[in-house]
Amino acid sequence: MLFLAPVMAVLGAVAVFPIAYSLYISFFSIKLTRPNRTPFVGLKNYTDLLGDEAFWGAVWRTVSFSLVSVTAIAFIALLVSLLLNQEFRGRRILSTILLVPWAIPYVANALMWKWIYDSSYGALNGLLYQLDFIDKYMVWLGDQDKTLFLIANAFVWKEVPLATILLLVSLKSIPSDLYAAARVDGATVWQRFVHVTLPAMKPGFMLVMIYETMMAIRHFDLFFILTEGGPGSASHVLSWHIYVETFRNLSFGSGAAMSYLLAIATFALSYLFIRTLGRKI
Amino acid sequence: MLKDKTRRLGRRDFLRYSAAGAGALMAPGLVRPAKAETAALTMHTWSAAVDTVQSHLSAFTKETGIPVNYGNSPWAQYREGMVAKFVGGAPLDAMWVSDSWLPEWAEAGWIAPVDEFDSLMKYNAEAEDFCTDSMTYGGRQYGLTYYTDYMAFFYDEAKLKEAGFDAPPETWDELVEQSLVMKEKGIADYPMMLAMAQESWLIEFISTLVYSHGGRLVDDNGMAVMQDPKEGAVEALSWVVDAVNKHEIVSPACVETGELAGLKSFAAGNHAFAMVAKYRLRMLNDPEQSQIAGNVKQAMMPQGPNGSHATVGWMRFHGMSAQAAQDKARAENAAKLIEWFGGKADGAYTFQKLLFLDIGAGFGVKPLFEDPEIRAAYDSYGDVDMIQAQQALARKKDTVTPWFGEWNDTNGSAWQSAILGNVDPAGAVKKSADLWNELKDSY
Repeated sequence: MLFLAPVMAVLGAVAVFPIAYSLYISFFSIKLTRPNRTPFVGLKNYTDLLGDEAFWGAVWRTVSFSLVSVTAIAFIALLVSLLLNQEFRGRRILSTILLVPWAIPYVANALMWKWIYDSSYGALNGLLYQLDFIDKYMVWLGDQDKTLFLIANAFVWKEVPLATILLLVSLKSIPSDLYAAARVDGATVWQRFVHVTLPAMKPGFMLVMIYETMMAIRHFDLFFILTEGGPGSASHVLSWHIYVETFRNLSFGSGAAMSYLLAIATFALSYLFIRTLGRKI
Repeated sequence: MLKDKTRRLGRRDFLRYSAAGAGALMAPGLVRPAKAETAALTMHTWSAAVDTVQSHLSAFTKETGIPVNYGNSPWAQYREGMVAKFVGGAPLDAMWVSDSWLPEWAEAGWIAPVDEFDSLMKYNAEAEDFCTDSMTYGGRQYGLTYYTDYMAFFYDEAKLKEAGFDAPPETWDELVEQSLVMKEKGIADYPMMLAMAQESWLIEFISTLVYSHGGRLVDDNGMAVMQDPKEGAVEALSWVVDAVNKHEIVSPACVETGELAGLKSFAAGNHAFAMVAKYRLRMLNDPEQSQIAGNVKQAMMPQGPNGSHATVGWMRFHGMSAQAAQDKARAENAAKLIEWFGGKADGAYTFQKLLFLDIGAGFGVKPLFEDPEIRAAYDSYGDVDMIQAQQALARKKDTVTPWFGEWNDTNGSAWQSAILGNVDPAGAVKKSADLWNELKDSY
């Protein structure tokens, strides 16, 4: 126990104390710009959120973004992992190339997509125009109907490699005699996939769903760099809402309350995934 | 013996002689009191013209003997960083302040008024009124100018001539007419460049549009009047909405176009008209940076039906921290530093002139407009009389209050929502006004 003390002290200072302190300040009306007025407000910061239209709008957009992103990531990663599980010439090179998006830092990824989507000089407009798919440059991020999907696309591009690796590990762990037995029973390719491959990939899927859902719910970088919550409120998601409340409005009390709600929602979702996907693992 | 006399100084000898020497120096009458060192001041700015600031600081220390610890941080994180410094009690004497933050910082007691220093107040006589207004809150003045500028209207003279017009538009309606002709002739897809992205510049664009429509966002008592159709805001937003959606003279991408991206687009020759900060004129007429260099001219801000050529001006100034103000000697030294930068150094507005010549930053003191070097520099890329005439019509932002930061994001989103067609202009402005009044009541 004595030997653990230094580690415990560090953990206490850098993890336990900040978490506990942020919970504490979530019960106060703390605005840094009003340093002499920090009344205790109890649960008001939390109850105010329940009636806050902007907060629920942000929640809804976060749910939409997460749903679209995680579904796309899981589906694409499944296809790519199935492909990489086959023996073919160039497989190793393809696997290496696949890792490139994963190796790119989030901010660099966001800046890259900002250039791609730019409506005046973006690569996407350039490509579509040269291929005669469009006759004039399109507005991408400025179009509120497209914004969230375009950001989700950039997020998916970055996240697919990791999800693929996690699923590939599950695929590699499936014993080959299961497939042999299925063949003996006369199972078709589709039946082998549905009854052997997919059930065996459940642990991998669970990891992907939990990790990517957590990443999507609290993702910030792309929203900060690509749209700053706009146009209008089209990409005003929960993480952006918390950032604005905490660091622009400098309202640390309500910002902490929102962060706690976000943390609780993330925990709840993770628990749900573990309960459903992990039941028969 | 010889050996003894010439032996090298040993460790013991060194210690003995040192102790004896120190003792002799410490003896009464032999000790010379150390010269009292002047306490260093601490100055923090955002990362602009850093070399110019440092060299001017060195000159200050040489002149006054007061050392200065200088730090800077990027503009994007400056406000939050400074708030953290204030709250954390970091040592600070002088700093750059934006007029947007003045009420917030003054109300929090982080910065102190400087109007008790006659050495600083004497410069008001030569400053533009809106500059002094922008540094004043609650009847007290909080600093001296660092730089000032205003939102200007530029046009590409070549495109205007190509479209068959001899003069730039006087009104926003004329701008629509000229733009439609340009579109018809294929001169520009979107003749007018407006940058309406959610960023710190947006309030300046909005204020300019409202002022030039003869209106205001907030009255003298701090109550929102923007929702009143007679006060210009609804009219101004309606003009933008029509310009984007009906006339298609402004790109629908304006909601994702920031000031810098818009500037580059204008410099690339994509537009005939643009509203950007006046100091951008130098870059726009620089052949190395602009494809329309030599063709960019400034005109008075177009006016709305009941408006004027008014525009918005802004102010960045040198302020004094409250902690410096609490100590008389320290405050006096900080005032000297502020004067060295915001007033005259060696009998001239040296720093403002240096800033102008270095990065083209505007100045808020009228005599510099008569400076031959400055006139020559302006003449190389602009019309100094036009620049001065428009500056005389600049007004401070009427929304600068302690709750400005909380309101600004919602206001920007409301204007964007109207441009996107989600809500009508009156509804968007009303939403913004409602939040304004709610915040005002809460403070």
